[in-house]
Amino acid sequence: MAEKKVRFVIERQDSPESQPYTQEFDVDYRPGLNVVAALMEIQKNPVTVDGKKVAPVVWECNCLEKVCGACMMVINGRARQACCALVDEIEQPIHLAPARTFPVIRDLLIDRTRMFEALKKIQGWVELDGSWDVKDAPIQNPYTAQTAYEISHCMTCGCCLEACPNVGPQSDFIGPAPTVQAYLFNLHPLGKFDKPKRLNALMEKGGITSCGNSQNCVEVCPKFIKLTTYLAQLNRDVNIQALKNIFNN
Amino acid sequence: MFHTTFYIRRLHSICGLAVLGMVLFEHIFTNSMAIFGPAALNGALEMMELIPKPIFLGLELGGIAIPLLFHAIYGVYIALQANNNASNYGYCRNRNFTLQRWTAWYLVIFLIWHVGYLRLYTKGITGTPISYELLQNYFQNPVVVVLYVLGMFAAIFHFCNGITTFCMTWGITKGPRSQNVVSVLSMGLCAILCLITLTFMGSYLI
Repeated sequence: MAEKKVRFVIERQDSPESQPYTQEFDVDYRPGLNVVAALMEIQKNPVTVDGKKVAPVVWECNCLEKVCGACMMVINGRARQACCALVDEIEQPIHLAPARTFPVIRDLLIDRTRMFEALKKIQGWVELDGSWDVKDAPIQNPYTAQTAYEISHCMTCGCCLEACPNVGPQSDFIGPAPTVQAYLFNLHPLGKFDKPKRLNALMEKGGITSCGNSQNCVEVCPKFIKLTTYLAQLNRDVNIQALKNIFNN
Repeated sequence: MFHTTFYIRRLHSICGLAVLGMVLFEHIFTNSMAIFGPAALNGALEMMELIPKPIFLGLELGGIAIPLLFHAIYGVYIALQANNNASNYGYCRNRNFTLQRWTAWYLVIFLIWHVGYLRLYTKGITGTPISYELLQNYFQNPVVVVLYVLGMFAAIFHFCNGITTFCMTWGITKGPRSQNVVSVLSMGLCAILCLITLTFMGSYLI
């Protein structure tokens, strides 16, 4: 019985501090097989190509339709979602590795806390409650609604942070995704009240000035958000904010 | 909140493009006189000597030395924050990003040698004026020629790619089309300046 197999070379790590190592697995081929489905097969029968039974590979996934962002990992050297990485469309053997821009918890499972922290820094929310009456929601500007909708697709998967050469342990750059979220909330009819706050936060160390224009972010974004366009817009906005800071006082 | 990082980054950007760009153009302009023979280059060099000494020294310090040291030292700090990954993400802009840093490293070493030997030692300490004959003698060594041509190419690429990134950093070019147009134009300028360099460097060898 000559069944077609797909070879996976997986970079594993038992704990946040331990040394990474690789293991190889064979998975039965079937049409439409994707990386998440293959990882599920490995989980069912975690036996390496040498016939050794090992602990199942740990990874994260949720929606399986490129909406939640959880299954982001480095597949054949590039950051992308595992759920939409079809085996038929990628080179074999398939190399899987965790996105090491983030701290690795175990195997392919990473800790994305830094993205949430970055969203807190840039005030990635709309101030709704206060000492005022809460009225009906204001209407969105129809001319910018399309852009806001596009940026709101961001699922904080971290592809852009992994691909960006300026994000990592060597730098304090918060990364393209959280930076561009500032623009989304600046577009919001209520969020725009806090625009100066967000722009001032982006002018801090690790903010938008750490962008080196390598433009990898826009190439790898699985949601096709025009990150570099909005980064340039924010660069414009922070320049204007800087002039205001200097001359309004 | 005084956004020190923001102002230093923007100063680094404008200092590289406007001030050091001028220095690069001055060098290419004066040196290209060598194409028209020894008399033309020596004439151009003597013209610069006509500028009163204190003003000339002030220009060298304020227009070259200080901006160059600031751009180089802060630039090293910026370069150290990058983890170049063009092997995995081989897009044109990412390759240029890596090349921008490689040329920067080469230029730091090259300029210490170039300024140290020609300006500080030859012109400063020994008091020998720079002339066509001195340079021709200097360029008899093929290793020096190759390292100088590479130094010029590195400076020209670093400057031209800098135009593209300057326009993004200052929010001048926002969309991909305008960014591409500037990128193509600046790479065209890069090619022209490299050709001029090859021509005047070659004129010493014939």
